[in-house]
Amino acid sequence: MSNHISTSNVLECSGLQKTFNGNVAVKDVGFHIDAGETYGLLGPNGAGKTTCISMICGILQRDSGDITVCGEPLDIGSVTAKSSIGFVPQDLALYPDLSARENMMFFARLYGLSKTTLRRRVDEVIELVGLTERADDQATEYSGGMKRRLNIGIGLLHEPKLLILDEPTVGVDPQSRNAILESIQRLSSEGMAVLYTTHYMEEAQRLCDRIGIIDRGELRAEGSQRELVSLVGERDKIRLESASGLESASTALRGLNGIVEAAVENEGLSLIVDDARSLLPQIIAKVAESGAVITNVAVTEPDLETVFLHLTGRALRD
Amino acid sequence: MKALTIAGLNLRRMFRVRSNIFFVIIMPMMLILLLGSMFGGTSSPRIGVVDGSNGVLSADMLERINPDDELTIEAFDDEDSLVNAVSKGRASAGLIIPSNYDKELKSGNSVSVRFIARPDTGGTQLLASVNRAISGQTEIIRAEIFVARELDISPEDTVVIVRDVAATVSRVEVRSRTEGEAVFGDDISQFDLGSSSQLLLFIFLASLTGSAALVETRRFGVSRRMLSTPTRISTILLGEATGRFAIAIMQGLIIMLGSALLFGVTWGNPIAAAAVMASFSLVGAGAGMLIGSIASNDQQASSIGLGLGLGMAAIGGSMVPLEIFPETFRKIAHVTPHAWGNDAFAELLQRGGSFQDVIDEIGVLLAYAFVLLTAAIFALRRALTR
Repeated sequence: MSNHISTSNVLECSGLQKTFNGNVAVKDVGFHIDAGETYGLLGPNGAGKTTCISMICGILQRDSGDITVCGEPLDIGSVTAKSSIGFVPQDLALYPDLSARENMMFFARLYGLSKTTLRRRVDEVIELVGLTERADDQATEYSGGMKRRLNIGIGLLHEPKLLILDEPTVGVDPQSRNAILESIQRLSSEGMAVLYTTHYMEEAQRLCDRIGIIDRGELRAEGSQRELVSLVGERDKIRLESASGLESASTALRGLNGIVEAAVENEGLSLIVDDARSLLPQIIAKVAESGAVITNVAVTEPDLETVFLHLTGRALRD
Repeated sequence: MKALTIAGLNLRRMFRVRSNIFFVIIMPMMLILLLGSMFGGTSSPRIGVVDGSNGVLSADMLERINPDDELTIEAFDDEDSLVNAVSKGRASAGLIIPSNYDKELKSGNSVSVRFIARPDTGGTQLLASVNRAISGQTEIIRAEIFVARELDISPEDTVVIVRDVAATVSRVEVRSRTEGEAVFGDDISQFDLGSSSQLLLFIFLASLTGSAALVETRRFGVSRRMLSTPTRISTILLGEATGRFAIAIMQGLIIMLGSALLFGVTWGNPIAAAAVMASFSLVGAGAGMLIGSIASNDQQASSIGLGLGLGMAAIGGSMVPLEIFPETFRKIAHVTPHAWGNDAFAELLQRGGSFQDVIDEIGVLLAYAFVLLTAAIFALRRALTR
């Protein structure tokens, strides 16, 4: 990377607020990202992740709050601050009727790359995202994974100090997903600050140095994975599976001593409990009383899913 | 520079679609050719004749019908083929001269000549020519019969006397003069009218249907991504507006240069014609950008574009000349920019007007462009940042 990162805090934002038609989408969100750090915004669909990112990229006017990128204040019209940001939107944002090379040439010009570096840099990024052999084919002929890689490549053209990725692996096959995650880890290790939003707990756990848990527009907790899990304490997670009757079982279990959280998700009932071993017989009995027939029981260590359930009272993928 | 990058990409994407090449280049030229062939030209009316007499008098009568060779007279073998030619439009009218034409006329008897035409004004005009020719011929023949009876001289001497007298008799001269100007001047070529009206129609149509590309850019998320780059929103808006303008002006140039080269259309004062075309292109660019900013999908933009483009062209005189409509309708037509554009080109092409003569029309077109572009920029800015 030729860009030299001169300040430690690449991104700093505080008090971000956005309201749409009276509905609060983002409320008092603030965090910072250092150079070489990957920060994950973890939350379910509709939690406010994309709204946050849109404000940080300067494509959505915020109601209030401050954002600085590499020490430069950022607003919709801030050219200097934006020159440090590479943005990879959730949906593919490229011209499908143009080739990878043409798309990249176009955006490279908008990123202000000089004529001398433009072609060289486009070739480099095409190689980086593994599209060299198909670089001159129309993007509409690419597979979903190739389009995703092109989408990411466009955000890397100007060697940004801050790379913002909004759920870049949605709808991507496992192989491409793995390649994308590896690329992000490599970029981060080279000193790039990365802001990554996802609703996949596994991705956040694999990639992120620090994670912010966001729900209903509010940042509920923030820290490393270890710090977040410690919020749950020494508790366990139990997952019960049943074909029916989970709602009534959930209601019945909430009254049981030692049950901290109970939430129905994906044909299963997730519980956070103080001591799984001692409570399990009582739980199974209560569920049986409620009429549900248990088909599977799993007891696990607390993870980010558990943290989310603990903080919000609902499952991450609700 | 970045604005030109955005504009250039718009233009490139437009011409990358092969069907657009047909609609932008080939179709306007075809329509100009078609309109020029239908409504213009110098081809003479064609009269078909079945001459059963084949005599001196029938030949004389045909000569009288066509004294200046302005008509084409074509001989037909029989009545059926003549009627068929008239009904199919291959002949403007038909004339059937009976076999006893010469004989009966010389004898002073009545004889019938049959005239066949389609029920249009061309046939009526030709009937008048035929009537005039026959009247002229029968006057002479009556005079010859009269002289032969009264002087009791040979038919040959009668002809000499009557023709001599006819040559010296004073005729009644009808003098005519014209008031006002012709709706379409004499020096206007058959392709001039069609070219200017098609120019306006296609500039507007290309701009409006091209608005679908702007909707695509928004829908693909490219516009918002552009905003995340170090590019000012004003640059993006300028780039999109310039792109729309480039498409419109490219369409205008293709029609202007193509019609001049292929059909010899003279566009009058070149600076004035270019100014009118550029002003109208700005109007098209504004309208296209406005639709592209407010339409929710590209199909909607194309439908609105096509409907508005054709509708306004029809009202504004780009399909049928406004000159043939009543005054009230012409006033209403000037709600559309097309009417002002057509007025300007009529001044330049038909009356040889200068830049000064079309400055009002250019002013009105620029006012349209200002309003539409302002509204479009406001709408696109809102669409990008909300």
